[in-house]
Amino acid sequence: MSKSILQYILITAVLVLAQVLICNHIMIFNVATLFIFIYVIINLPLSLPTGWLLTWAFLSGLIVDIFSDTLGVNALACTVLAMVKKPVFYAYIPKDDRTKDILPSLSSLGFSVYAKYLLSMTAIYCLLVFSIEYMSIADIKEIAIMSAGSALFTFLILIGLDSLLDRKN
Amino acid sequence: MRNLLNFILRYSTWFVFTFYVVISIFLLVIGSRYRQSVYLTSANAVSGTIYDGTSQVTGYFNLRSINESLQASNAQLQNEVLNLKNEIAQYKMLLSDTAETFQSADRYGYVAASVINNNTRHPKNFFTINRGTLDGIEQGMGVMDQSGIVGIVNVAGPHMARVISLLNETQHFSVKIKDTSFVGSLNWKGGDATIAYMEEVPRHVKYEIGDTVVTSGYSTTFPEGIPVGIIMNRVRSQDDSFFTFKVHLLPDFRSLSTVRVIKDIYKEEIDSLATFDALINE
Repeated sequence: MSKSILQYILITAVLVLAQVLICNHIMIFNVATLFIFIYVIINLPLSLPTGWLLTWAFLSGLIVDIFSDTLGVNALACTVLAMVKKPVFYAYIPKDDRTKDILPSLSSLGFSVYAKYLLSMTAIYCLLVFSIEYMSIADIKEIAIMSAGSALFTFLILIGLDSLLDRKN
Repeated sequence: MRNLLNFILRYSTWFVFTFYVVISIFLLVIGSRYRQSVYLTSANAVSGTIYDGTSQVTGYFNLRSINESLQASNAQLQNEVLNLKNEIAQYKMLLSDTAETFQSADRYGYVAASVINNNTRHPKNFFTINRGTLDGIEQGMGVMDQSGIVGIVNVAGPHMARVISLLNETQHFSVKIKDTSFVGSLNWKGGDATIAYMEEVPRHVKYEIGDTVVTSGYSTTFPEGIPVGIIMNRVRSQDDSFFTFKVHLLPDFRSLSTVRVIKDIYKEEIDSLATFDALINE
């Protein structure tokens, strides 16, 4: 069942708070951190015009940046993530289904397609964030390790979060 | 005109995308500069209040380890006070008629503050403290905890301030090996929050593994002799004419809680002399 815009705003607010108060302080084995707030950008319905999605993504990234003192890093990564959302989503959907208004979630896509889509999106986001933050070829090994670790960690948590929020609906 | 409107409508998504990308890049550029608006940092009123509220709860989590560290620091200070008292008594006996000269002027003042938000996982880390300009905090003041130096005030709001952590790749601190005059530059290079590097140390330096690295006192930010870390070993230096040491940092940056902001009462005077010098050189 589709959520209302108000519900999405509420989920964004809760996840942004969870990001800055809890997830920003989580670091597993010094390689994996958690980006929980990108869940809304990934799961907003495809019917939402890209212009609005870009605004949503930019603002949520900017708020996280202000709280985390990483000005511009998450805002830029979220904006690019919002821009690539449709092409990435359609890469895993059969051509005939592309015109339908499909909600990107576990229940509507099934585990296989949703997992591929979610993992691609988290990997793109993590690679963007760490590349922007380190911005140096010398740190390429660190960027690769942290991106892989964080993408996997974020993917696992977001799969769990999606099934939890889907069940509530 | 209609064609132009059609063109804008057709590519509106790309216009919006470019607009946000340009703003983000602009923010990235101003974010890496030293001075910036307090509203764009974690020291602004909203984030400051939220962090302050949560730290009221989370502040209790590390109390045991902080207490142990404070007790150790207290014992060491008591020891130092006793030694200094003895030393002063001896000098007074030797120079009884000039004893008044021992009235030292307190050059440095300290403002106690709590760390309400802290990060160690970025290449450029900052933390937020619950004291601001109304408490006398200003940009450029040094910050230390019970174990050693931890950062420099970067942006100060009325009630909160953002501190640029020692764990920030862009920061260099003037340090020296304790009880010597061998000065170097301390810089954190990312990764491990307990390791930094003391660079540009002259090759004729006399050192031993385990020697303490302290602040040099060559700036108004930190008084001389505040502990920073312990020399672990010498590492390959980029420049053959200098040594580089791997330093184990004394403060535990993952559990920073109570810090002291250092106020130098001569700061303005020293800064004005530097400005005067610059004017003469021009």
